[in-house]
Amino acid sequence: MRPKANTSQTIAKRDPALVMRLSRLGAFHQSRLSFMRILTRRMIRENWTFSRPVFEFDANGVGHAVYCAHTPDRTYSLIAFGHDLPPEERSDRVIAMRWDSTFTLFDGVPEPSDLERLRRNVPLQEAGRVSEKELSVSRANRSVRLWDHVVSCLAEGMQPDPAEIAKVGYLMRTTAVYGSGKLGAADREMIADRPECAAPFQIEMLSVFLTRTYVRDLVQHIADLKGGDAAVRLDAGIARSLGIGNSTGLGMAPFLINHPKLLNNWISAREEAIAIVRSVPAATEAEVETFRRLLIRAVYSADLWHSEHPIQVEKLNRLREDLSVVTTHVAEAAICGPHPWDRLHAWAENTLGEDAQECLASLMLEPYGRLVDHLTDQMSDTDRNAFRIDGTMRVADLRAVLERVYGWALEIDWSDRSQCARAWYVSQEKLEPRLGERFEEPIAAYEQPLAPGRDAATLYAALKQEDGDGHLAAFLLAHPEHRHSVRRAQIVDRAPYAEIRDNTIGSDLVPIDMLRCKLSFFGATQFDPRSDRWVRICMFGNAPYPEELQDDPDHDWSYPPLADGVK
Amino acid sequence: MNRSLNEIEAHAKRAARGAGLAWGLAEEAARAARWLAAHGFGGPALLADVLAQNDGVSHAQVAPVSLDGVWHAPAQELCPLAAGAALNDCADRLAEGQPVQMAEVSYPLLVVPFAAWAAIHLNAPVQVRWQNLLIDTDGERVWLDDQQHEIETSKANELVCVTAKRRKDAAAVPGLRGDVPPQVWDKLDRFAQRTFAPATEASRLLGAGTGASDND
Repeated sequence: MRPKANTSQTIAKRDPALVMRLSRLGAFHQSRLSFMRILTRRMIRENWTFSRPVFEFDANGVGHAVYCAHTPDRTYSLIAFGHDLPPEERSDRVIAMRWDSTFTLFDGVPEPSDLERLRRNVPLQEAGRVSEKELSVSRANRSVRLWDHVVSCLAEGMQPDPAEIAKVGYLMRTTAVYGSGKLGAADREMIADRPECAAPFQIEMLSVFLTRTYVRDLVQHIADLKGGDAAVRLDAGIARSLGIGNSTGLGMAPFLINHPKLLNNWISAREEAIAIVRSVPAATEAEVETFRRLLIRAVYSADLWHSEHPIQVEKLNRLREDLSVVTTHVAEAAICGPHPWDRLHAWAENTLGEDAQECLASLMLEPYGRLVDHLTDQMSDTDRNAFRIDGTMRVADLRAVLERVYGWALEIDWSDRSQCARAWYVSQEKLEPRLGERFEEPIAAYEQPLAPGRDAATLYAALKQEDGDGHLAAFLLAHPEHRHSVRRAQIVDRAPYAEIRDNTIGSDLVPIDMLRCKLSFFGATQFDPRSDRWVRICMFGNAPYPEELQDDPDHDWSYPPLADGVK
Repeated sequence: MNRSLNEIEAHAKRAARGAGLAWGLAEEAARAARWLAAHGFGGPALLADVLAQNDGVSHAQVAPVSLDGVWHAPAQELCPLAAGAALNDCADRLAEGQPVQMAEVSYPLLVVPFAAWAAIHLNAPVQVRWQNLLIDTDGERVWLDDQQHEIETSKANELVCVTAKRRKDAAAVPGLRGDVPPQVWDKLDRFAQRTFAPATEASRLLGAGTGASDND
């Protein structure tokens, strides 16, 4: 039976007005509720097994492989194609046309005819076509520097330099993982009723998890072919530290705005988890010990975290300073007495920057899997009819909702050019979202509806001209341009974490804040902005490989083991 | 071509927006095309046709003049998307036993998804009738009586929407894929193209972000 955590819950979730600001969303950290960790917990709990029925590559890495994950009920297969990519064509940007490796996650075990069909399509990515038997399509490029280093070391009988490994953290990085119906693949609705697909993005996470194993195997295979008898096996500890990189651009940012209910469910689950732990009346010694141990590893993780981007460098410096303050505080002030986590949380709110506050909030959940892990059940969006507008709502009632939920937007002077300096649009060449300068480029006519604050303020101004007792149905008949904003306001009224409560088109917008929020829910680490619009991250770094899953009962791989091997 | 329902919805939304619909209406038009495609109807084709018919025409010219009495447009035919959205907005009227009647509706099948969502909201089946055709739906399942093949007609002189009795006889259920003929896809694509900003080298660099090298 599930522990009745909320019986003792007295502390409310944090105010959406505090949580849903871009600076805080841009400071989020992975947690127990992150999608990668949901997946590995399930794999361990259900004893998934893995096989590699096909693995055929030449010395240049050209060939294909099939990796199967067997759940208790069915099999999923990652089909990987390796290519010989000329260096000048290697780019992580969405405008690239060729990649080092391309992948699809197949529903079941592929027949030879499936492999033939997919060989003609998957390497083309967006220019190819898959079917409802495929669940995702993705691609990855080598980190050339580290790949060459690892291959040559292993071929010569040496282990790669751990310092070089730590600098990059992965041998390949994915540049897109498409799921949910893209390019003809199966819609999420086709698989959503399977328990292993119930939590968000589990198919995409499984694809990346298997890709990491493929990359480890491929680098070994090429080193073996190059070195012959002289070659050695990659040290298991080094292999374990390697994740899969990911380059992500602006495509991810509109997702949060276009899926308000889903965003609400992610944030709400984490906020509820935080409230549950803050409500714990007293902590046991074992719980405190788990927290202290992982705090040390979180400090180490922040030390390993590299970035050269000025914004991130500043954030990292503050995070490291703050975590050192936390370490001192936790050493001096024992975590005991009534509601110890709530007191720690209150101290953090008054002492630390947002980055360390969020890091600490995620850390506090670690000892309490039994109280919070079940919240992952509510992170998907199963409400198919949330888009329906209640036209019987009175104009006055919607005005009150707007004042309550969009008060921050009603205070902004939207005629000030700096408040609406940017516009989101979709480019013709690859249908990707971009962010442009409204007053410098001819893009305003193509603007996407990704400025909910401005649009809510416009709606509010229009409603002020209307009779408060009138119904929205009549208002919308005359003003269809407000339909999308009315829908959002009614959703946010029911789901308070559904809206980013900040200006998404201002001159000071930092789009990567939106990316960081989404990537933290994926479970990504090592967030490394390469500009204000695209970032690199690491996925599944330090995670167990398939054959190591059952040796990792603590589910805490997201925090790197200390350099001396102490967990 | 066999398409995922998400592909159909995304393409239809761009097309509807490209044809000039407000964003909120474009979202619903796209969901309507998806719903119909999932039920094996030619929703995307009808959407393409109505977008073409009303291209360059303002919403006010094809939307109901009033939500009282029989719904009709000022002079032209009623747009099924504008009328459908209004129908779903005031679905509660149906529960009160009031039928919604419309006159001179283009492509009436496009009203049916909106009636289906009203049925889900009301938790009661809804019937839509035009000419000799009856269609009942509880939002998910569909019962169709269409002896005269009027389902995909381009115009209904009169359309009535009322709550209906629950049925236990065999119903059509939605599938998880949709078929969209290439020429229909292309027709929608011509509208969708209008939503894309022409690429320039400046926007390529500015818009997607320059920065550190991505090949290292």
